[in-house]
Amino acid sequence: MNKPTGSEIRVASPLKAWASRFALLLLVGAAFGLMLIGRTNTFVVEETRTTVTDMVTPILDAISQPVDTFSGVIDRAESFTRLSADNEALKAQNARLLQWQAVARRLEAENAALRSLNNMVPDPKLSYVTARVVGDPGGAFVRTVLINAGERNGVAKGQAAVTGNGLAGRIAEVGQRSARVLLLTDINSRVPVVVGAGRDRAVLAGDNTNAPQLLYLGPTAKIQVGDQVTTSGHGGVFPPGLPIGVVSGVSERGFRVKPFVNWAHMEVLRIVDYELPGILDFEAQVGAARAAAAAAAGTEQ
Amino acid sequence: MRQEEGVWYRLDVVARSVSPFFVTLLLVLLGLVPLRIADLSPIVPALALIGVFFWSVHRPYLMPIWAVFLIGLLQDLLIGSVIGPGIIGLLIAHALVVWQHRFFLAASFAVIWCAFMLVAAAALAATWLLNCIAMLSYVDPAPLFFQYLVTMAFYPCLAWAFLRGQRLFQR
Repeated sequence: MNKPTGSEIRVASPLKAWASRFALLLLVGAAFGLMLIGRTNTFVVEETRTTVTDMVTPILDAISQPVDTFSGVIDRAESFTRLSADNEALKAQNARLLQWQAVARRLEAENAALRSLNNMVPDPKLSYVTARVVGDPGGAFVRTVLINAGERNGVAKGQAAVTGNGLAGRIAEVGQRSARVLLLTDINSRVPVVVGAGRDRAVLAGDNTNAPQLLYLGPTAKIQVGDQVTTSGHGGVFPPGLPIGVVSGVSERGFRVKPFVNWAHMEVLRIVDYELPGILDFEAQVGAARAAAAAAAGTEQ
Repeated sequence: MRQEEGVWYRLDVVARSVSPFFVTLLLVLLGLVPLRIADLSPIVPALALIGVFFWSVHRPYLMPIWAVFLIGLLQDLLIGSVIGPGIIGLLIAHALVVWQHRFFLAASFAVIWCAFMLVAAAALAATWLLNCIAMLSYVDPAPLFFQYLVTMAFYPCLAWAFLRGQRLFQR
């Protein structure tokens, strides 16, 4: 290769500096442009995001498995150290839960009898898709996780994501084989809930802290620390009665809720498919009408 | 025979020249792996920032500005935040290093680490401010501050690994 001569360098370096400054301005401008597009045309951004996420999810799936195995081994080692104390606690809890089981069975039978007396519309059946949490972006700005199930597994936007303990969040974006779950604690999360024995309605709003807060409580609401918070089912997105957490404290801005979900050990999420019977019936009717029309067209020919 | 050697040589050159870009992309992915440790998630280190800074200092011609843009774009897409603030943060870090490249030529490791503290502070502050503006809400900067500290602590480990990798390549 030819080495540049002195005069070439003298001409080239201001040019180069100018070009690099221009490139910086151009790309910063492009980034601002993307920010604007993100606010105005969310569809394009979402499509791009889900495509990229779909491509990356298999890699994340592979990387996260050894991490899970390692964390499982550590958990087991930890649990060995408190085996006998756990055993005692579980025996006591089991005795208490057996009593509760008897109560629950009696109430279930009574509830079924009362429902049939009143001809109450049955709640829609729930079906579940179980998915592994493969990505956790972290950081100060979002509280989301990526799961390794998407459209082709039956996951759809808006569905509830739960763990064994309670509600974790809802599906915000869906790709073919991946989906993003917006956690309860995210600054954009809003969930209609009922609180306590008085079943006071409120909206649970996240703010990127570990304890989301209750908004829009009625003036007559009587809420105490320790009250249970469950989904209300308003809006028809979440099934009613999914446990969320307990009221943990009062701050100057309002009540805070401590979710039941253990965020550090959220290896697997169940996605609740909650289809309102009305929508299903409508689809069935449309399907039947189409079939009838096709049959009629067939006989005409 | 000679021609085949030429192909391998060229492949080698290409692999060397794209490795900083792809290693930084890998860092973006590694930052997404869930670690299952309580309360660590909000303060995971900004690994992509470390990658961009390191190569802007040590191999500026292998970390061109469009590569920084692409890394930032991919990071913002995958994290799920607003697209843009993360890109601008990385571009600021890159621009600051390029602006002061003479200073970095003779700097020792400790001095570069100190410079990273300033550059990362500027980049993360810009990211925070733009995120607040884009989301039209005040985001608590406390986790970001801890994220900054964790990133500082991670820098020497990653830089050591990168330098080892570079020497291995040069042999």
